[in-house]
Parts: sequence; structure tokens; C-alpha cells
Amino acid sequence: MLELKNVTFKALDADDDSQSSSVRTIIQDLSYTFEAGKFYAITGPNGSGKTTLAKLIMGINELSAGKIIFNGTDISKLPIHERANAGIVYGFQHPARFKGTTFRDLLSIALGSEDEERLIKLIARMGICSQDFLDKAVDSKLSGGEIKKIELATVIAKNPQVAIYDEPDTGIDLWTIGPMVELLKREQQEHGTTTIVVSHNRAFLEAADTLLLINDGKISYSGDLAGAVPILEDLSVCTFNEQCQGDDDAKCYR
Amino acid sequence: MLNVIDKQVLKEVAGLEGIPKGAYNIRKDGKLLGREVSANINIETNPEVDGIIIDIKPGTVNESVHIPVILSQAGLHDVVYNTFIVGEGADVTIIAGCGIHCGGEESEGHSGIHEFQIKAGAKVRYVEKHVALGSGSGRRILNPTTKVFMEENAQMEMELTQLGGVDEAKRFNEAKIGAGSVLIITERVMTDGNQEADSRNEIELVGTDSRTNIVARSVIKGNSSQDFYVNLTASAKCYGHIECDAIIMDNGINQTVPALRALHPDAQLTHEASIGKIANDQLMKLMSLGLDYDAAVNRIIQGFLR
Repeated sequence: MLELKNVTFKALDADDDSQSSSVRTIIQDLSYTFEAGKFYAITGPNGSGKTTLAKLIMGINELSAGKIIFNGTDISKLPIHERANAGIVYGFQHPARFKGTTFRDLLSIALGSEDEERLIKLIARMGICSQDFLDKAVDSKLSGGEIKKIELATVIAKNPQVAIYDEPDTGIDLWTIGPMVELLKREQQEHGTTTIVVSHNRAFLEAADTLLLINDGKISYSGDLAGAVPILEDLSVCTFNEQCQGDDDAKCYR
Repeated sequence: MLNVIDKQVLKEVAGLEGIPKGAYNIRKDGKLLGREVSANINIETNPEVDGIIIDIKPGTVNESVHIPVILSQAGLHDVVYNTFIVGEGADVTIIAGCGIHCGGEESEGHSGIHEFQIKAGAKVRYVEKHVALGSGSGRRILNPTTKVFMEENAQMEMELTQLGGVDEAKRFNEAKIGAGSVLIITERVMTDGNQEADSRNEIELVGTDSRTNIVARSVIKGNSSQDFYVNLTASAKCYGHIECDAIIMDNGINQTVPALRALHPDAQLTHEASIGKIANDQLMKLMSLGLDYDAAVNRIIQGFLR
């Protein structure tokens, strides 16, 4: 359904002193096929390429090499909006905040309709009861939880075949994660949405049919959570201690 | 009688499909075109200067008054002095604005000098829209001045909009806000081509517990330029906030200068200002919902200027 063929992404990597730059490979010759209607979780260490991979699928990042085939069509060169209209939608880890634009505006764009009844039905489907919430400005005054709720709602409103959620639990309190997982599972089951969640959160990893472990720009494991646990535990042991510690210039090299 | 151009201008400026209901005064090319008063709102010609005096009786509620200006005479630079006296406890909407229709090579301009005396406990919503239409090459110039004097516990909400067609605009807003009174100013300006817009604001919080919120939203397209200045002075225990944001597109230039002056130890004044292009994350979000680049830009601007 969604096939990644030898996908590679390289980016300019400016050195700390900004005097020189080099090309860094972030995703390396990665191939994988996502099946229709399944729930995937993509996890892995920070900087392993999870978000980059998700953005490559959406077209936010351009491929350096390889192909992305969606429902039999090569979408590698399609711009973001054409991929969105073809059925792929992406929920950002750090959603944009606007000035003047409301939740209603975003929802209407996603839904392709300003019909009040449809909008209310839609927010009810997401467990948002208050109709006042529709006219909230999507600006810097929103809490982390509210903006994430809006982000998720706009993805669902687009009724995607493939919904990609990049760390949907960022900024969300512990008590909200359970209902969020349930919502995404419900969307997957009732609407057949192929769901791809980039997350470190165990709740999402447990909810997934398949877990993809990305390390160093490659898939190092795909399968169920039980099989991934030993690898994840191994990855959680840091091997850079000698490099990162010190009185001067302490930082994380992972 | 309204001709086709008059109707078009009235629609753009005041959202009117024809002659408004209730009190109104329509000025065209420096002359009175039509006037109607109501039981509570009197409009009369000012005997001392070219202009009108709008007198709203105390306690008048849920009434509106329209005072649009139409300018379609080449070479005319109309200056008008209007005074509004809003009686105690009144709650009214005033729809003003000027529309220039320029059909020739000569410039046309209008300077509306409006003075508001808002009495105790009165509530006013003032909507002023400036537009310029027509295929002529003459410069379209609009230089509005608004002076507001608020007694205690009054409220005024000013929506000042200029969304295109005006080549040159020099705005001056002045306000003195009395005890417990609130003034909210929202200014929205979009310029394009070689247009220039300049807005200067002198706002004084003079009474205890007076408040103001000044919001400016600017969109600067083409080679146009916009400058926005606010001097917010507090001489009492009060609260004031300035929020000015400018989106630059193409080669537009902008100067935004919010200034705060506290002359009282219990004054609380804040400001935030930003100038920049449309944020990339906003564009990405709308494109990921299916809008192409141009449609995404339009939607962001539309929201910003709302």
C-alpha cells in the first residue's frame, strides 16, 4: 500500500563552529512496505531518523534517492499538498501556532467543508464536547495539550488513508495518553486508517500491530514489541560516556 | 440618488447594499448626499467647520449610525471634521469609512478628522474601513485622524481597516482614557505595489484602572512600506498592552516602534512586536491539509487580518 524503496536522505551538517559543513546521511537505503489498515509504531534513539523518515513520506523532506510508492503510484516527486489530497496526512510533533487562524479554519480546510453540523459531528468523534473549542484561535495561548488535540483532529478530519503522527504525546499529560491511543486505534479500526505513530511512549508501542525500530537511519528491527524489548534495552545503555562527560563542553553524542 | 459607483463604494466601505436603516450621513465629493436622524441620534452640520456633529442621547442602546464618505471627483482633496458626542450609558455602533473611486490621472484624497467625546458608562463600537477602487492612475490618499476622549467607565472598540488600493495613508490616533474605561484598537492594513502607510498613535491612560489593548496587523506586499508607531503613556494605576505584528511579502519594508512610558508606579504596560515572513511551519501545516502554496498563503493572511 505504501512502499518505501531504497529511500535515502542526506543533509548538510554544519559543524559547531559553522566554518565548514559536510553531508550527513540520515536515512540510508531504507526499504519497507506498510500494509493497509495496520497500526505501526516507529521508535528508536534520538537522532536515529524517525521524524526524518515520517517527513519524507509526507514530502516535507525531499528524497536524496529511492522511491515512495503509494497505492501503486510513484509519489516521490509529488509536493506535500498533492500527497495530502492523495490520502497521506501528517500530524506535526510541534504544531504550528498561527495568529488569527482558528481551529474551525483548520478543521474546515481538512474537511473541505464549513458545514457546522459536519464540524460538530467531527469534533464529537474526537471526544471534544465543547463547541466553543471550534472558535479557539490556534495561537501561542493554547496549552500543549490543546494544540496537540487540535493537531490530531485536523489529521483525522482529512479522513486519510495513511495517518502519520509524529510524537503525538509531546506536551500531553500522562492521563491523556490513554484516551489518545484509544482514539487512534478506533480510527484505525473503524475507518481502516493505516496509522504510523513515531513515539518513544510504551502505550503507543503496545498498541501497534508492528513496531519498527530505527537506528542510524536504518530499520534495525520490525515485528512485535516483545521482540524489540531486548534491543531497546540495549540501546538505552549509553556507550558515549567517555566522550560526553567532562568539565568543559559537556554534551550528548548519541 | 446613488449611482452604480456609489453603491459599489458603499458596499465595500460599510457593507451597505443601499441607503442604510437608522441614522446616517452620506458625504460625496465634499457635499452632503443624504442624511437621516433618529429619535436618539441627531446629526447636524457643524456651523464652524466643514463637517457634522453626531449627538447620541444618553441611554441610547442597540442603535447604529452610518457615516460613509464617497470620493469620485478627480483632483478633489476633501477635508472633513466630524464630532461624536456619545451620551452617558449609551451603547452604539458607528460605521464610518471612506471609499475612493479613482477613474483618472489626477490624485484624490480624503482627510477625515474624527473627535469622540465618550461620556461616562457609554459603550461604542467604531468600525472604519478605507478602500480605493477604480482603474485610474491618480494617487489615492487617505489621511484619517481619530481623537478619543473617554470619561470614566466607558468602553470603546475601534476596528480600523485598510485592505488595499490606497496609495498613501497617514493615520493619527490619539486617546485619553479615563478611570475604569477600556479602549481596544485593532488596526489591519495591507499594502501592495508602491503604496505607503504610516500609523502614529498617542494613547494616554490617565484614569485609575483604565485599560487599553492596541493590536496592529500589517501585511506588506510588493514594494510597499508600512510604519507603525505607538506611544503608550500611563499616568495612573492602569494596564496597557501593545501587540504589533507585520508579515512581509515580496520586497515590502516595515518599521514598528512600540513605546511604553510609565509615569505612575502602579502602571502595568507590556508590548510584543514581530516582523517577518509567513512562518514556514504554518505553510507546511496548511499544505499537509491539502492546500497548495498560494492557497495556504492566502488562508494565513486571511486569518491574520481577520
